Amino acid sequence: MNGAGKRIVVVDDDPSVRRGLERLLKSAGYRVTSFASVQDMLTGADLDSTACLVLDVRMPGPSGLELQAALAHEGMRVPIVFISGHGDVQMAVRAMKAGAVDFLSKPFDAEELFDAVEQAIQRPRPAKASKRR
Amino acid sequence: MLLVALGYYVGASIGFALKFPHVTPSVMWPPNAVLTTTLLLTRPRRWWIYILAVLPAHLAVELPLISPSALVLGLFVTNCSEAMLAAGLLHWLSDQPTRFDMLRRMALFVGAAAVVAPLVSTFPDAALVSALRGERYWSVWLTRFPSNVLAELTITPPLVMLITARYDRLRTVPLGRFVEGAALAFALLAVAVVGFGGPPGEAMGGLWSVQTPFVLLLPCLLWSAVRFGPRGLSVCLLVTVLLAIRAGMLEVGVFTMPHREDGVLALQLFLTIVSIPLLCMASVMEERRRTSDALAERLAFEEMLSRLSNAFVHLPSSETDRTLETWLERVGEHLQLDCLILLEFSGTGDAFVARSWNAATPKPGLLMFASDDFPWAVAQLRREQPLNFTDPDDLPMAALGERAILRRHGVRSGTVLPLEAGGRVLGGLAVIRFAEAPAGQEQIESRLGLVGEVFASALARRETEDALRASEGMKSAILASLGSGVAVVDRKGTIIAVNDSWVKRTDEAAPPAASEAGVGDNYLAGWRQVAARVAHAREAVAGIEAVLQRRRESFALTYPSSSSPKSRWFQLSAVPLESSDGGAVISQTDITDWKHAELEAQRSREELAHFTRVSTMGALAASLAHELNQPLTGILSNAQAARRFLQAKSPDLDEIRAILADIVADDKRAGEVIERLRELLRKGGSQPERLDLNGLVRDVVKLVGSDALIRNVQIHVVFSADAPTVAGDRIQLQQVVLNLLVNAMDAMTDCPREERVVTVETTTNEPDGLACVSVGDAGVGFDPSKHDQIFEPFYTTKTQGMGMGLSISRSIVEAHEGRIWATKNTGPGATFRFTLPLAAPRVP
Repeated sequence: MNGAGKRIVVVDDDPSVRRGLERLLKSAGYRVTSFASVQDMLTGADLDSTACLVLDVRMPGPSGLELQAALAHEGMRVPIVFISGHGDVQMAVRAMKAGAVDFLSKPFDAEELFDAVEQAIQRPRPAKASKRR
Repeated sequence: MLLVALGYYVGASIGFALKFPHVTPSVMWPPNAVLTTTLLLTRPRRWWIYILAVLPAHLAVELPLISPSALVLGLFVTNCSEAMLAAGLLHWLSDQPTRFDMLRRMALFVGAAAVVAPLVSTFPDAALVSALRGERYWSVWLTRFPSNVLAELTITPPLVMLITARYDRLRTVPLGRFVEGAALAFALLAVAVVGFGGPPGEAMGGLWSVQTPFVLLLPCLLWSAVRFGPRGLSVCLLVTVLLAIRAGMLEVGVFTMPHREDGVLALQLFLTIVSIPLLCMASVMEERRRTSDALAERLAFEEMLSRLSNAFVHLPSSETDRTLETWLERVGEHLQLDCLILLEFSGTGDAFVARSWNAATPKPGLLMFASDDFPWAVAQLRREQPLNFTDPDDLPMAALGERAILRRHGVRSGTVLPLEAGGRVLGGLAVIRFAEAPAGQEQIESRLGLVGEVFASALARRETEDALRASEGMKSAILASLGSGVAVVDRKGTIIAVNDSWVKRTDEAAPPAASEAGVGDNYLAGWRQVAARVAHAREAVAGIEAVLQRRRESFALTYPSSSSPKSRWFQLSAVPLESSDGGAVISQTDITDWKHAELEAQRSREELAHFTRVSTMGALAASLAHELNQPLTGILSNAQAARRFLQAKSPDLDEIRAILADIVADDKRAGEVIERLRELLRKGGSQPERLDLNGLVRDVVKLVGSDALIRNVQIHVVFSADAPTVAGDRIQLQQVVLNLLVNAMDAMTDCPREERVVTVETTTNEPDGLACVSVGDAGVGFDPSKHDQIFEPFYTTKTQGMGMGLSISRSIVEAHEGRIWATKNTGPGATFRFTLPLAAPRVP
């Protein structure tokens, strides 16, 4: 894949889901770091070097959508792929409007994930300087 | 007074007349004795009237015969002083100066009136005579003293006794006494004529001697003393004395001596010496007679009293009224009362029944009065105060009403004794007199007291018996009205008594032998017959035996009938009989209808519970889908990752193993979710089992965990360290917890996210044997005044929901013998709690 070697960050509170995704993405050649919550991710991840954020919507603490809004607010345009256990249409539309790359309903096929991640990596990223004020 | 004066005059005249020929002094000087009698019979305060009254009589008699006049006056003074001294001493010393029926009284009379008074008064008497007439002092003294003594001795007692005698009683004296009296009088006259008349002639000459009169007289006097008492004797003595003096005057008989003065003195001495012991003897006889009469009378009374007591001993209470009336009459007659009334307060105390016996009317009367008509008397009786009045007007002003009523009925005096038994005044016993109260009143009162006690205990007994009968009647009516068959069995299980329902009960109520068991059969025998093949029969035998042996306080057993084609249910209960002989009360109730209703209710409760569970699950469906999606996602990701790893040249087998382990775990997790779901959606009967309350709560929290996540609600769980165990139906209890959790989350829909916290806590209250689950939220809370309503069906504050959740929860908790309630938090929100009894520790 084109984006092999890129850093992917996974945030999901479910450990087994988290491990499964980590393994799957690693098998595709990505470098993967995973976190159990938004809070952990914010302290542990270097978002600037992150090519794609695979983000669960519902989690204890701040949700994926809230993180998306906060990042947008900070001008950090990390491409986000949402994954959700019961994503409804309304939520998906909200996420996509806010600039998400994709919105995947659990459970999803590996190919679906890879497509979404690849698309995210390919997406042109504006410089950090273009941060909205 | 006129009579006294007349008596004195006559006495003095007789005194002058009773002289031996040619001798100055009288043999006997009666006026002093007449005056003594008068003074004895009157009160000292009024003596002066009588003394003044006799003065003219004295003067009238003595002035023509005696000179000088000063002597006449002086003699009056000495005569009076003698009488006053005699009467004064007796009034002072004797308890009854006018009675001679006791030796003490008689001896006092002899000493005071017949010895001391004449002795003392004769000294001034003799001094007067010797001074004014120049006679020799001692000769005067010697003639006057004996004559005064003889007069006092023989005249005063008969006079006093004849005056105080009760002639109204003469009618009751039997004819024989009159005949005897006449015979005595005849004998006395004959003896006197013969004795004092001198030798009758030559024919009897050989038998006659000087002693003859004494020998003949003595039997007559003894006869009178023994048979007629002091009264008869004193009359006889008087007659004898008069006759003897007359004989002396006629100069016939033994006292005709050469010196006439000697004859007089001899006669006086003889009569005095004979009189004193005879009078004393007569009084002793009288005293003994009275004592024995009193004893006999007392004996008769006591015999009556014991018969009276006996009459009430084994008397049925229905007979009490009649017997009371009979005995009222007997007691009244025995005590010779005018009127005897038995008062009996009514149960309420505002009225009383008066049962009266009247000597004048033969039939007992029965009257009812209101207590208000006799307020004072009733109050007095209630205070256990006896009433006693000798005149209705003696009663206090408070008793004005009573006074009027008593006067209207001509009541002269009366006594009312309270009838008291067991510390309670039941009524009174009244004696009413229409005439002067007779002597010996105290005795009658004390006897009435004894009679009253018997009456009181009879009344109390009747009251107790009536109460007992009423309570027994009530008990048997209650027993008869019971639908359950009730039997009383003795210590061995033999039936002593049964109620109507036992006789009419359905035959399926007990095993064949027991179902026919009636009074006299052994109830346990029927159960024992079938005990070998019927389990509940063994249980019944063991339980009833335990109750009969006092090892158990009660025993209850619900069992289905074995013989009937249609299934019927019965409940058997046994409780110990409160009796020294032991035994038990057994009741059998057909509870088929109740059982059916219970089963029906249980079924509808379960259906409703299932329905609400399903609807709750519907609401949770979205989050449950998420709950399933998680493991599915994990499984899929891991599986695909593994496939990709395996395509590598040298697959990392350790990684593959880890992946497979995750897949297996996820699969199990998914299975559990589905199992929990299926369990909650399962429709089925109660399956009571021992449950770990913490585990049960944990499962439900897991079930709603994803829903809580979606709703941004945090669930804090605090588990009791004691790991409480309860007995019950898992699904039903899970539903209660589920309902409370869903309600708690619903209550916080409009709260800021950070406040959405549900606290679930399990606690153990060991002393009370309770486990408690509480679910607290920080939501809108509830109106405390609507506390009871929130557990009612169809009460809801939500826009969606049926309002069945809490109602179902309550019926589930109560079916588990628990309690559910809600309290408003001090902060925001409410806390719902329910308790369940802790399960008994498992027997190892």
